[in-house]
Amino acid sequence: MYINFKAIANWAKSAAGITITISIAVALYATINSGPYVLVNTIITGGMLALVATGLTLMLGVLNIAMFAHGEYFMIGSLTAFYVFTPISNYIMENPDSFLVIIGPVIAIVLSMVSGAIAGVISEKLVFGPLRRRSTDNWVMNSFLLTVGLSVLLINLHQLIFGADFKGIVRYWGGMPVSIAGAFISRDRIMAFLISGLIVFLFWFFMTYTRTGRAIRAVSQDATGAQIVGINIENIVLLTIALSCALAGVAGGSLLFMYPSYPTMGLEPLYMAWFVVILSGLGNILGAVAGAFMVALLKVVTVEYIGAGWDFVVPSALIMLILIFKPSGIFGSEVRGVLDK
Amino acid sequence: MENIQKRQPVNTEKSREKENNSSISKESNQSLSKKGNQSLSKERNQSILKEGDQSISTLDVFLEKTGFTPVGLLGVILLLIMPFIPPFNQEYLLRWLIYAAFIAAMSVGFDFTAGYINIVNFGYAAVMGYGGYTSSILAINLGLTPWIGILIGGLNSAILGLIIGMISLRLRGIFAACLSWFFGLALMGLATKLVWLTRGPLGLRVPRMFATESNIPFYYLVIILLVAMYILCKWVVKSKIGLAFQAIGQNMDAARTSGINPVFYRVFNFTLSCALAGILGGFYAHYYAILTPEVMHTSKTVEVLAVAYIGGRGSLWGGAVIAFPFIFIMEIIRSTLSNLPGLNLIIYAMLLILVMIYYPGGFSYFFDTHIRKPKNKALRYFLNGRETSAS
Repeated sequence: MYINFKAIANWAKSAAGITITISIAVALYATINSGPYVLVNTIITGGMLALVATGLTLMLGVLNIAMFAHGEYFMIGSLTAFYVFTPISNYIMENPDSFLVIIGPVIAIVLSMVSGAIAGVISEKLVFGPLRRRSTDNWVMNSFLLTVGLSVLLINLHQLIFGADFKGIVRYWGGMPVSIAGAFISRDRIMAFLISGLIVFLFWFFMTYTRTGRAIRAVSQDATGAQIVGINIENIVLLTIALSCALAGVAGGSLLFMYPSYPTMGLEPLYMAWFVVILSGLGNILGAVAGAFMVALLKVVTVEYIGAGWDFVVPSALIMLILIFKPSGIFGSEVRGVLDK
Repeated sequence: MENIQKRQPVNTEKSREKENNSSISKESNQSLSKKGNQSLSKERNQSILKEGDQSISTLDVFLEKTGFTPVGLLGVILLLIMPFIPPFNQEYLLRWLIYAAFIAAMSVGFDFTAGYINIVNFGYAAVMGYGGYTSSILAINLGLTPWIGILIGGLNSAILGLIIGMISLRLRGIFAACLSWFFGLALMGLATKLVWLTRGPLGLRVPRMFATESNIPFYYLVIILLVAMYILCKWVVKSKIGLAFQAIGQNMDAARTSGINPVFYRVFNFTLSCALAGILGGFYAHYYAILTPEVMHTSKTVEVLAVAYIGGRGSLWGGAVIAFPFIFIMEIIRSTLSNLPGLNLIIYAMLLILVMIYYPGGFSYFFDTHIRKPKNKALRYFLNGRETSAS
């Protein structure tokens, strides 16, 4: 069997290769040094981040909207899951043998995805659509500021209608934690990771192999060209927003047991997802997934070795360094080309 | 006379955009004309301009130097006598006034970056907080008087702005905004975690600037800061540097091809606007006498951003004018409808969204197109100042 060592060496010398190798090394070191829970935490946080960040990178790639309100769809998803799951869990308490023990959480998570998609469609119809029809001059900046307003609006609507207290649940699926390689992991965490893995896989499959997914990618590469070959831009735009907000919503819904719902809960996933997008460059779904795990690792390792609360300082400093030396991200190549129209 | 026409006041947003598009070519024309024989006619034009200017009054000269229109000057005078007009002479209304003036000054500095070189400095509040922390830590640990501390805070923030400007050079638009945002997040994280220095979320207790309980000296200080910052920014923007800023904001590549060096202008812009933020941060710390990492939060930047954009980007005065009614309405809603928390923020977010979609020029555009051009000559002078001066 012939192995192309030269290609591997070249890859290892590229920015992507260096970062991936270093992250794997750091992950291994931390796992050996502090125990496997570092790896487990990284994988679960990374799975959630991958969902939010792929939505964000999709928005940026297709619609050129630098979303500041993406965390708010995360919040909407978790809020929906809370209000759907609370009655279900009360019912389960009374009837422990009901089929809802298994299905109930799934219903809540699916509904959180649907509510995220609906919220995305509504915001497209009420906010982005009117702006697009009015003018597309300086679109990136204007739409970005629009999403800033949207974020403030959604946060405070939550506070006004549902109150500012923490709305959380104890668990989705009960039962004993599972032991994997000496670390005890609750079933909810495993399920959350499985859900995010499944959805990212489905999403990647959809984008790569279906006709609609290819149409979305075509629009992200060249909107005019896509229109010439007969793609309905309006539908694609609507679908993209619904998809990316649904991804954020399902992330919020499936992590309700870790992050209770409250008005400003969306900020942290938003910061982290932006770190991922900047790190991995734009329009690259697999890159965003890899970047999500790197940022998650960075965060977990920071909390482990430096202390809680530093997890904004160290990742931002590192990402600023990356931005200085590689402005287009470690996997991307034409960030500026896409954004500077 | 062509030259004089070019110096006509840039009134409307649209005409300003046109001006900007032509400004790039104008810049290149100027550089060309230095070598070519066009320079002769140019000098003649300027001499004509000077001869025409000799009949202007001292008020006009003053207005021209400071960048105010008569109505603007009247507004400043109104602000100066405001603490003695009955509803505003109560202490709590004076506190609102001070906060409004503070936000107004912030929005001037913010608009200096966002409206001209078209980069939103998303860590602006963090830079402000950094200046405030510098000044207060000096005052607490070294006993330095706040007057010098504020200046040092401004200087320190200027250095920070220099760094942000330098490292964001290779990035454009939204990516530069993200970088400044991450910078702000990192600063806020540092302020929260360096407990031995900043006491973290507990907040730093800062000596006040004036020993009195009264708010009046603080009010005058912030008004002086506001006016001085406006004059400084206006002066820079009116000069050739401002033209270069606009060219860079519109189209960086075109600006570069016409011989503008974006490195200098962008770094200069960041440095100046961050220095202003640092000075204001010092004022904030020494007025409220307590400084928590909350002031560096992104939501504070969003507040300044909303004011600057509702006021109208690229105008400097728009945000400063709109800040006063805006802050007052917000405070009134907050204090009267206290059982509905967050309603004022909902209203301001709706306002920001509506303005961004349906009226992107903001208040200054509305003023320029609908109010500024009355038929009456005296009124016209009152609103615009002398005709040939750029307003």
